[in-house]
Amino acid sequence: MAEHDQHHSALPYFAVWVALIALTATTYFTGRAHLGTWALPLALAIAVTKSLLVILIFMHLWEQKGANRLVIATSFVFVALLVSLTVSDVGTRFILATPAGAPFGTDLPAQLEEAGPEHQPPAGRIGEPKGVPQPK
Amino acid sequence: MASEAAAAHGGHDPHLAHHFTSLDRQVDAARLGMWLFLSTEVLLFAGLFVAYSVYRYSFPAAFAASSRTSEIWAGTVNTIVLISSSLTVALAIHFARIDRRMPAVVCLAITLLFALAFLGIKAVEYTTHFREGQLPGAYYHFEQVRLPGASMYWALYFLMTGLHGFHVLAGMTVLSVILVRTWKRYYSSRYYVGIELAGLYWHLVDLIWIFLFPLLYLI
Repeated sequence: MAEHDQHHSALPYFAVWVALIALTATTYFTGRAHLGTWALPLALAIAVTKSLLVILIFMHLWEQKGANRLVIATSFVFVALLVSLTVSDVGTRFILATPAGAPFGTDLPAQLEEAGPEHQPPAGRIGEPKGVPQPK
Repeated sequence: MASEAAAAHGGHDPHLAHHFTSLDRQVDAARLGMWLFLSTEVLLFAGLFVAYSVYRYSFPAAFAASSRTSEIWAGTVNTIVLISSSLTVALAIHFARIDRRMPAVVCLAITLLFALAFLGIKAVEYTTHFREGQLPGAYYHFEQVRLPGASMYWALYFLMTGLHGFHVLAGMTVLSVILVRTWKRYYSSRYYVGIELAGLYWHLVDLIWIFLFPLLYLI
């Protein structure tokens, strides 16, 4: 088996470590810059890149059997399905489906203005502030 | 060396279980089993990531404001600590592969120290949040952010980092057992799958933190 190779080098691990630190710095500085719409996709892209480095090099999936790759890939597909379908459900409910006092989509308009334009919820979802449980 | 051990066990490798035809097959089965287990772990955290997505979508302002009052320095330092611990555990497997026992033991010990450092920083962080009232539900009394949904951010923060913290503890337990076994020459370049599987678990802990860090600290 390839794993019994006596001349296996540790160099790739150090290279991956340097790359992971660099990507952490990137996600830190871009995260603190508050880039608005692109902040979340960028943060997720960096996180996915980092996890691919960990999975393929640190966890040796690059050199292992296809079955192991299939297992972990399947679980990531199901996570993506679960998150995207649930968010698209919540995101496409029209306003009548969200009554006043419901826990969703009830950020107060005045406080949203303070928070700046990039954190506005989608149009038509700023509902009745009445009945919203206020934090003490 | 292997043949002496095999002779002592009636002609087969002492690590080989009776229901496997060869050690290679046994190791492949062990790896596949570990990947299956890791998938269930990923799906366990997926439930929390879905809850996070829904509530962040519903309370964007509260999540952004709360995230900016979190201990960003602690999250960043802990990210570097976990990445470095992933490196040392990968190096431990590398040394076990080439029959260098002591470097492997040292790498596992450093990994455990990193894990302790992670939990220490986490404890400082939690203490601050408890003192400031950055807490879930009715316990929320943080004056700086008074938005509906802010307590939800902290509920998810404690659930996600808490569950991750328990995984760190479990990983430390597993790594300690593996460290002792490596020390006692249980593993060799012929058979080191135990170190490998413990390493896989530890990398998963790192993997989950890689997503938690930008989602919780850097909104």
